[in-house]
Amino acid sequence: MPIDSNTIKSVTASLYERSLKKIPDDTRALLQQARHAETGDTARRTLTIMLQSADAARDDNKLVCTDVGIPTYSIKIGTRVQFTGPVRQAIVDGFAELAQHIDPPILKMVTNPLTHERSFAGKDMPLVSFDVIDGADYMDIVCSPKAMGTGRWEAIEAFVYPTHEVIEKFVLDVVMRAGSQPCLPLVVGVGIGGTFDYAARLAKECMLRPHDKHSPEPMLAAMEQRLKDAINGMGFGAMGTGGDTSVMAVNIDYAASHGFVPVAVCFNCWINRRTAARIHGDGRVEDLQW
Amino acid sequence: MVSRLHELTLPLTEAQVRVLNVGDMVTLTGEITVSIGIPTHKRMAAAVQASEALPIDLRGGAFFHLSTYVREQGGVAEPLYLNPSTSTRYNEWMPGLIEGLGLRLVGGKGGLDAASVRALKANGCVYLSFLGGGSPLLSRGLREVVSSHYNEYISQFRLLTLRVEGMGPATVAIDANGNSVYDQLMARAQDRMPAILEQLAQARQAAGTSPQHSHDPGKPA
Repeated sequence: MPIDSNTIKSVTASLYERSLKKIPDDTRALLQQARHAETGDTARRTLTIMLQSADAARDDNKLVCTDVGIPTYSIKIGTRVQFTGPVRQAIVDGFAELAQHIDPPILKMVTNPLTHERSFAGKDMPLVSFDVIDGADYMDIVCSPKAMGTGRWEAIEAFVYPTHEVIEKFVLDVVMRAGSQPCLPLVVGVGIGGTFDYAARLAKECMLRPHDKHSPEPMLAAMEQRLKDAINGMGFGAMGTGGDTSVMAVNIDYAASHGFVPVAVCFNCWINRRTAARIHGDGRVEDLQW
Repeated sequence: MVSRLHELTLPLTEAQVRVLNVGDMVTLTGEITVSIGIPTHKRMAAAVQASEALPIDLRGGAFFHLSTYVREQGGVAEPLYLNPSTSTRYNEWMPGLIEGLGLRLVGGKGGLDAASVRALKANGCVYLSFLGGGSPLLSRGLREVVSSHYNEYISQFRLLTLRVEGMGPATVAIDANGNSVYDQLMARAQDRMPAILEQLAQARQAAGTSPQHSHDPGKPA
């Protein structure tokens, strides 16, 4: 039985709404750990308020952060899946409908970069990346609304045969430049290799990894841990007003590359918006614990 | 340093804000004015420059980079929520507004630059850090819309005055004595960087995984 457009429309819209109103359970657990371990008075209070805010949003059907960002989706389609109608247009329609009816109403964040006009729609919006899963009879949808108050500090640069030292120093430089500006503690994604666009995509996708997953590459798993320790040693702390936890996780992925190696660094703020669902070929919808 | 909680009622005197220290927390009661519009800031700065009065008197008051949604139904304007925005993008206009409007409190998230730190000190005003993602808690302090100006802009860009009660808490991040937690933390992080890089080098050596020979490491292609 093929997947119909209405299912895609309602699933993508509901993932967006859920991202705005509930932080992921594993992120909440890391914030609790951070509060428990925190030695600074102001940071401990700030982490306490963060947890209270997240709980209040969940319990009272509120937005955790009212900068609802721009809608972004990463979609992987099994090669055995069939569709009865459009896929991309269904996502556009789902967002348009949500923007009209969501409670509480959301602010206009989608901005035309040429005219600065704001609305709930625009060219290429929502931003969707597609990939395929060979042999699968389902499609996976990851939603991560992106607010650029944190996103504006992301960076990419190409290096020549970089050592690990060079890569790690670049990550620290990007974090230092951001300083107290983003809403810390962050999740950091690092993409190494591929091409300009592919490195950025690797960074983004691995940033959204569940917190109990580390890189399967021992070399990168070790880099993730030492970079996390290094960034936390910088001391920017919760909400950038000082503290022991500036980053909840550093997630790294890589792809084979040229000798000129792009390295991309991206950030998610403390509310770590990410939701995911799987639509099976028979139309069943499964929420993925992401 | 012990963080204290202050329950402030607006408007404020200079003496009331001079005693606030970086790291203190505050709650606010009274009238606050908010906007996250760059056009709004430009317009306010131009008015100050030309010695023209704004639609509202902000002396002794608070002007924050908080975004708000106001729902208008049946002739009643209801503020639904509040949330901070990044303040540094208004760096260009804030010193003039702090000085020209007689403000006692400004705020948002992420702080302001050195010119604003000087203006805050010279004029007796502090910068408050609100929790990004703290909307459900901040919004509990909302009571009503007092006035709304520049209404040709989208909701969050308008110059909106709200009555709040016990709104917060927010953290004093730049005080009226020239202390900025942002500058202090950036300086401290830079001081710590050599030791952090050394620890990273030791961890890499222990792991023994990095390529030892590199073609011109670190130079952009």
